[in-house]
Amino acid sequence: MNEFLEAAIIGVGLGAQYALLALGFTLIFGILGVVNFAHGGFYMLGGYVAYSCVSLLGLPYPLAVLVAMLATGALGWVFELLLIERLIDDHLATLMLTLALYLIISTGVLAVFGPISMEFTFPVSGALRAGSIYVPRENLIVLAVCLVAIAGLYLILFRTDLGRALRALADDRAVGMALGLRPRLLFPAAFALATGLAGLTGALVTPILALAPGVGDPVLATSFLTVILGGLGSLGGAALAAFVVGIVEAYTSVYFGGSIGALVLFVLVLLLLVFRPTGLLGRDVRGA
Amino acid sequence: MQASVTRALAGAALAGLAGWSLPVMAQSGCELKIGSMGPMSGGAAQWGLAMDGAARMAAAEVNAEGGLKVDNQKCHVTVVPYDSKYTADGAAAGSNALAAEGIHFIIGPVGSPEATGIKPILARNQQIAWNASYAKDALATRYPLMFHISPGPGGWADSVIKEALKHWTIKSVALVAPNDQGGTDIVSVDEVAYKDNGIKTSSEYYQRGATNFAPIITRLLAANPDAVDTASSPPGDAGVIVKQLRLAGFKGPIGRNGGPGTEEVLRVSGGMDVLKDFYWYNGAADTPQTHAIDTEYKKLLGKDQTFGSSLWVDLPAARMTLQAISAAGTIDDVQKVAEALRKLPVDDPNMGKGVWSGQKQFGIAQELMFPFGIGIIKDGKDLGVTTIEPKL
Repeated sequence: MNEFLEAAIIGVGLGAQYALLALGFTLIFGILGVVNFAHGGFYMLGGYVAYSCVSLLGLPYPLAVLVAMLATGALGWVFELLLIERLIDDHLATLMLTLALYLIISTGVLAVFGPISMEFTFPVSGALRAGSIYVPRENLIVLAVCLVAIAGLYLILFRTDLGRALRALADDRAVGMALGLRPRLLFPAAFALATGLAGLTGALVTPILALAPGVGDPVLATSFLTVILGGLGSLGGAALAAFVVGIVEAYTSVYFGGSIGALVLFVLVLLLLVFRPTGLLGRDVRGA
Repeated sequence: MQASVTRALAGAALAGLAGWSLPVMAQSGCELKIGSMGPMSGGAAQWGLAMDGAARMAAAEVNAEGGLKVDNQKCHVTVVPYDSKYTADGAAAGSNALAAEGIHFIIGPVGSPEATGIKPILARNQQIAWNASYAKDALATRYPLMFHISPGPGGWADSVIKEALKHWTIKSVALVAPNDQGGTDIVSVDEVAYKDNGIKTSSEYYQRGATNFAPIITRLLAANPDAVDTASSPPGDAGVIVKQLRLAGFKGPIGRNGGPGTEEVLRVSGGMDVLKDFYWYNGAADTPQTHAIDTEYKKLLGKDQTFGSSLWVDLPAARMTLQAISAAGTIDDVQKVAEALRKLPVDDPNMGKGVWSGQKQFGIAQELMFPFGIGIIKDGKDLGVTTIEPKL
């Protein structure tokens, strides 16, 4: 019974991390129609920016997280405006551009910080305990940030003019532009929002796990898996799928071991693609 | 990525060597390129970069003397690194890439998957390589161009466990490692060593590339072990495992009957207070002579060596390769160099006197065995490293 409860707690913790990653990934696809291969790079960059702020500049950790989010958001804005925007309708070109950006980010990090893991720890440690059941405090903070991020994104997309404009452009860009919406202004904003989320996640999660060049590699795979399961472009689907992935991974790993856990996830996605290709909450046709 | 690592590493080292390299090259015109190979990014990067650092240091040593004497000329030695990413295909591709540059001598690779990938193509590419893997088949008579940097856990796990038992009561241990050959081979040998000491074992494996080990920790602790051994988990992974074990409330000793990397484990886990009780195979003895390697490294390459005892262990292989090339009097005839290498005495100015081992385990005595160390951290205090003399 203890293991069952512990697996549930681990699953929710993993799900919160995956949700933060998947939201940004699916946002870019949903609004711009771009598969962002640099998503893991922004996650890694967020971790390194936060680390630099704390270790080199002596900033308090919460401020460092904010700086990491803003810095990765700003980089995303510039990247979209200067490069992606020019080739926004060429899916292969944008795929290559984002892949190139990932390589540049990871190589840059390696050159500046070296290959060794950084000593970067989360400022809150310890766990809430009840017998052998424990909930790490850091996971509770990530979960809280995740819920705030989901709520914030929902509010931005469904309760503000910016969100309405972005969704209108995603549905039909030609009509949106005819009504006066300006993609050159709005698309970079959406990209910045998503990369800022990736940076925020990196700043929050890397001190809990590890910060080293290459930590972005598994992030891309996890984000992809989650958004495919949830339905490419669906925010609700991504959030739901993230927790499904986290809980499935936790239970299968706890009861069947680490190798089977990874296998089950991919089988799950395979089956979903066969029987429900649009994912859990995806639409049949995506605009933009 | 590989090219970037090459540039980053080569730039720093060449800057330090520039002072004497130009006159030497102008004088002799002979250039010897050797390869360094291993994971130079990711969780096991420390091991691959140590391999590269050892190759660069050995090269810098001979270059400082005006170059390596080969036949009647002095050759300037340069190092070409390759990031084989702890994979079999990475090492095979690395062997081919280095062969394309005319490189016959490789210091590396590191892990078992890499050793498996490179062994079959060494003869075709006419290359000598030194793997540091702990695989059960790290050497084989049918791969005579493969040499082994140090013994696997079969050569030292028993000593490490006996030393740990002096400090803690351990009746059961849970071992954790990646689910590939780099993990399963080592765990199976470690398990035998624990059982020989009357300790019950259980084992858990994870997919290499995993970042969050919380579910694995739950499984490990379900066995209620007295100790957990991170075996051959890369140091970065081992650091996260230690951190999450302590967070889960595990208070027993954590061992490392696998590759060195205590500094990295310490850094990632969050420091001595988190690590608390730890025992590990150190790879090399902790003596003034081995520490002198760090001083010489800084003097020759202009920066601190940050790879710990991994570099100490790899350095004799690089030095002996250059000695063998010099003794054979050729930079092209690989068979002749291999023959000269087998005849060299195992006697390093820093690592001390050792032996050629491997005959008993692999049927071929191409493994270097030097005095090694066993480290103990107890109650958050570093008790130092005990030296163990090699025996066949």
